[in-house]
Amino acid sequence: MSLAAEAFVSQMAAAEPWPENATLYQPLKDDQILLSDHASSLAVQAYLRMCGLPVQVVCRANAEYMSPSGKIPFIHVGNQVVSELGPIVQFTKAKGHTLSDSLDDVQRAEMKAYMELVYNMLLTAELYVQWCDDATAAEISRPRYSSPYSWPLGKILAYQKQWEVRRKMNAVGWGGKSLEQVYEDVSQCCQALSQRLGTQPYFFNKQATELDALVFGHLFTILTTRLTSTELAERVKSYSNLLSFCRRIEQTYFEDKGS
Amino acid sequence: MGTVHARSLDPLPMHGPELGVQADDIEAPEIEQEPKQEVLENKDVVVQRVHIDGLGRTKEDLLSYEIAEVFRANNLIDVMRRSHEARQKLLRLGIFRKVEVVIDTSQGEDALPNGLDVTFEVTELRRLTGSYNTMVGNNEGSMVLGLKLPNVFGRAEKLTFQFSYGTKETSYGLSFFKPQPGHFERNVSVNVYKVTGQFPWSSIRETDRGISAELGFPLWKTNQTLKWEGVWRELGSLGQTASFAIREESGHSLKSSLSHAMVIDSRNSSILPRKGGLLKIHQELAGYTGGDTSFLKEDFEIQLNKSLIWDSVLSASLWGGLLLPIGDKTTCIADRFYLGGPTSIRGFSMYSMGPQSDGDYLGGEVYWAGGLHLYTPLPFRPGRGGFGDLFRTHFFLNAGNLCNLNYGEGPQAHLKKLAECIRWSYGLGIVLRLGNIARLELNYCIPMGVQSGDRICDGFQFGAGIRFL
Amino acid sequence: MAAPDELFCWEGDWGLPSVSTDCLVVLAYAQFAGAPLKLRKICNPWRSPSGSLPALRTNQKKTLSRPSDIIVHLRKRKYNADYDLSAKEGADSLAFISLLEEKLIPALIYTFWVEPKNYVDVTRRWYAEHMMFPLNFFLPGRMQSRQLEKLRLLRGDENLEAGEELEKELYQDAAECMNLLSQRLGSQKFFFGDSPSSLDAYVFGHLAPILKCKLPNGKLQQHLKSLDNLSDFCSNILLLYFPRDGRAENSGEKASPQPDAADFDSVPNKRRKQFLSALFAFAAMLSYALLTGMVSVQHVHQEALEEPPDPEHIGSHEHEEEGDG
Repeated sequence: MSLAAEAFVSQMAAAEPWPENATLYQPLKDDQILLSDHASSLAVQAYLRMCGLPVQVVCRANAEYMSPSGKIPFIHVGNQVVSELGPIVQFTKAKGHTLSDSLDDVQRAEMKAYMELVYNMLLTAELYVQWCDDATAAEISRPRYSSPYSWPLGKILAYQKQWEVRRKMNAVGWGGKSLEQVYEDVSQCCQALSQRLGTQPYFFNKQATELDALVFGHLFTILTTRLTSTELAERVKSYSNLLSFCRRIEQTYFEDKGS
Repeated sequence: MGTVHARSLDPLPMHGPELGVQADDIEAPEIEQEPKQEVLENKDVVVQRVHIDGLGRTKEDLLSYEIAEVFRANNLIDVMRRSHEARQKLLRLGIFRKVEVVIDTSQGEDALPNGLDVTFEVTELRRLTGSYNTMVGNNEGSMVLGLKLPNVFGRAEKLTFQFSYGTKETSYGLSFFKPQPGHFERNVSVNVYKVTGQFPWSSIRETDRGISAELGFPLWKTNQTLKWEGVWRELGSLGQTASFAIREESGHSLKSSLSHAMVIDSRNSSILPRKGGLLKIHQELAGYTGGDTSFLKEDFEIQLNKSLIWDSVLSASLWGGLLLPIGDKTTCIADRFYLGGPTSIRGFSMYSMGPQSDGDYLGGEVYWAGGLHLYTPLPFRPGRGGFGDLFRTHFFLNAGNLCNLNYGEGPQAHLKKLAECIRWSYGLGIVLRLGNIARLELNYCIPMGVQSGDRICDGFQFGAGIRFL
Repeated sequence: MAAPDELFCWEGDWGLPSVSTDCLVVLAYAQFAGAPLKLRKICNPWRSPSGSLPALRTNQKKTLSRPSDIIVHLRKRKYNADYDLSAKEGADSLAFISLLEEKLIPALIYTFWVEPKNYVDVTRRWYAEHMMFPLNFFLPGRMQSRQLEKLRLLRGDENLEAGEELEKELYQDAAECMNLLSQRLGSQKFFFGDSPSSLDAYVFGHLAPILKCKLPNGKLQQHLKSLDNLSDFCSNILLLYFPRDGRAENSGEKASPQPDAADFDSVPNKRRKQFLSALFAFAAMLSYALLTGMVSVQHVHQEALEEPPDPEHIGSHEHEEEGDG
C-alpha cells in the first residue's frame, strides 16, 4: 500500500470501532488454495483471534485478483480493504488493538527480524516447493490453481503463475538451488525459530504476538498439508518444541470452533 | 465505328470515407445524348468478348461471375449500362484501385458485323499497404499502425493487421476476410485480437483476448451473420477507490458464445438518413460451447425515418435488450448493458445510469431506450450547397430505463419495473456529419426523471460517435 | 596446504575495497575468518568464471556465486567467524540477515540503480569509466534493467517505475531497518561481543556503500549518518580490516579538491559549450538563408552625391516578398 493511502487508511481506521461483519477473503478452501496462501491466511486468522477481533472467512475463486496488492489474504472492514499481515497489524493498531505494546525496543527489533526470517526463508521455500519442483507443480499446484476455470483458461493461468514465481526465485537467488538445499534452508530456519522459542510458551514469554501468529500459520499449514513428499513436514517435526507450540496455539485459539 | 471510351458515369469514386457531398444525394447523371443515339439504340449488338486487362495475382475465375451479365446485353445502351454495373461489382470486391471500361467493335477473323468487345482495364491494389496514425483521447495517447494485404491469395481475400501502442494500454488485431466467389455478400471472416479498455464510469479496466469466426450471408431482404467467439476476459479495478462491488468482479473469465444477427437496412445512408428504416436483431448464447459464463442475450434496434416538408426529417428509434443468466452464477459486469451519454440518452453522463455502488456503475440486465428526432437544416441556411449541408439542427426527445429484473416474477411484474423510474430528456442541438461513418453533436439538454445515483450532464453536451439513439 | 581459492570481485572506490554489496560481504567475512583468498579485482563480469561478480573459484575448480554459498564453503574449510556464537546468537544472525534482505536491499537497488539522478550521475558513470571498451556502452544499461526487474519482482509489481511515492516507501522501510539494527547493536563494538561474525559482514556489506558513496539524492546516507553507532561500526571495520583502501581514499581526498573544482569547472565549461553550440547553430542558419536566397545582401553602388538607400527599407521589402512566396 502506498504511504499516502496508508496514512489515509490509518486516519479512517481510527475513527470507527471494529465492526461485526468484518470478512477475510481467501481462495476456495477445498480445491483451490495452495500451501503458501493458506499459511498466510491462517497467520492472519490467528492474529485476529489473538486480538479478540471477530472475523468471518469467505472463500472466493478470484480472491487473489480482488486483493488490492494481489496477495492473499485480505480483509474487508467497514469500507476499507487491507491485505497482508504487515498492513493488517498496522490497521488494527490504528483501531487500538495491538499485541506488541509491552515489548521494549530490542525485543521489538528481534520480533521484526524473526518475522522477516519467516518471510525470507519459510515462505520462499514454500513457494519454491510448490512451483519450482516439477513433480509438485504438475501434481498439485497447477491442477489446484486452475480448478475454478474452464479449459484452456485454467492451464494458461497456471503456467503464467508458475513462470512468474520462477522468475522471482531467480531474482532472489533461489533459482539455482536444488530441492535438497531448500529443505536444508527450511531446517535452518526451523532451528533458529526453535532456538529462539526455547522452552517458553510464546516467543516473547507470556504473551502472544504477531510473530507467534505468523510462525503458527506457516508451521501448522506445513504440518497438515499433503504434498507429493513428506520431507518438508518431517523437517519441521524434528523440532519438538515447535510442534507443541503449534498444538498449544491451536488449542487456545482455534479449538472452540474447530479449525 | 470509332472507339467509344466509356468513362465512369458517376462523378466521385465509390469507396472510402470522404467529407463531401454524398453520392446518394445526387441523382445518377443522364447519359449524354449523342447525335446518333437513336440509331445506336435500335441497333442489335452482340458482345463477343469481354477482356480484363491488368490482372496480376487476381484469379480469373473470381471475376467471371462479376462480368457474366455483360454478355447478355443486346443493344449498345444496354451494353454500357451492364458494363457500368459490372464495374461497380469489380470495385466492390475491394481489390482494384481503378477500373476503366473500353467498348470497341470486334476485331479478328470471327468478328461479327455487330459484334462488340468490352475490355475492363483494371489496376490492382498494391500487395501491402500500411498506415500510421497517432491518436489522442481519454487521457491517453497512442500510435496506431495498420497493415493491409488486399487480395492475398487472388480471390479477394483480405488480411488486415492493426496494432495500437498507447501510453497506458496496447491492443492489436488480426483479421482475415474471404468472400465467396460470385456472391460477395456471402463471406467468412476470422479475427484474433487483444483489446484493452478503461472505463472510468465503473472504475474498471478490461482486457479481452479473443478469437472469433463469422459467417455472413444475405437471406431474402435481410443480412444475416452467424458468429462464434471465444474471449478470455480479464477485469481489474481502476484505482484504489473502486467500490467493493467492482472488486468482486475482478479476475479472469472465459466466454465462448454463439451469436446470430439479422439486419434489414433500407435507409439511404447510415448517418442522417432521409428515408427508410433499420431493423437489427442480435442474440447471443454463451456457455454451451465451453467457457465459464452462461447466458442468453437479446437486443434489438429499430429506426424509422420520414422526410417532411422544407427539407426536414422526422426520425424515431427504439433500442432494447435483455440478459438472462443460465445456471446459478450471476451475470458478469462485462456482459451487462449500459445506458446514458451523448450517444444514447442525452443529458446524462456517459453510461452513468442505473444500478450503481459507491459511484461505480454496474450496468443492468435489461434496458430500453427510445428517441424521437426532428432534423432540420441550419436556420438561414448558411453555406448552402457546400459545407453548410453537412450541418443539421435537431430537436430531440429521449427516454429510457435500465434495471435488473427479478426473474422469478412474471412478465407483468417485469413490465411494471421497466415502466417505473423512466429517465427522459429533451433539447436541441447541431449535428455535423463526418463522411459516411460518424457524426458529431453539440446539444443543449434538459434531463428529467433523474433517479438518485444517476449522473447528469445538464446544459451543453458534446458527443461523437457512430451509433446514436 | 592447498592452494588458496580465487575470489573475483568488483573493484573498489570511495575508500571501499569493492563497490558491490555482495563482494563486500564476502571480503569482510574472509577478513574476519582469516581466510586466505587470492583476490582478483576486475571490472569485467565476463571474465569471471560464473559470468557475474562475486565469484569464488575453489581449488576443485567449482564456482560459487551466492555470498551465502561462499560463506558456507569457507566455513567448511574451517574458516569460521561464527565459531563463538551461541545457538541463540546464530538464530538471531539468521533473523537479522533476513531483515536486511527484505527491507534494505530494495532501497539499495533503488538508490543506486533506479533513482534517475543517482543512476546517471554516479552509478552509470562509475561503471562506464571503469569498464573497458566496448563493454562500457551497453553493459551498465543491461545491469540497470536487470536490477529494475529484480526490484519489480521483489515488490511484486510489474509496472513499477521510479517515483516519489515508491522512494518514500522504500526509504521508510530502509530507515526502519537501520533503526532496528542500531537498536540491536547498541553500544557494542560488533553485534555479538568483541569479535565480528557473519552478521557483521552482512551489515557492513550493505551499509558501507551507503555511507561512503556520495550520491546526489542522499537521503539514505543522511539517515545512516544520524545513527552514530552504525556509522562508527562501518568506519571501524574499514579501519581495522581494510586499512589500505581507507588510505587510498585519504589520498583520494587530497586529490578530491581537484575533482570538486573540476565539477565547478564543468559548469563554466558547460556554459562555453552551450554558447559555442548556439553560435554554431546561428551561423548554420544564417549561411543556409544566404545560400538559398531567402535573405540577400545587396551591394548598391551609389553615386557619391546620392543618398544611400535606407537598409531598413530594403530589409522590410524583402520580408514582404518572402511573405508572399
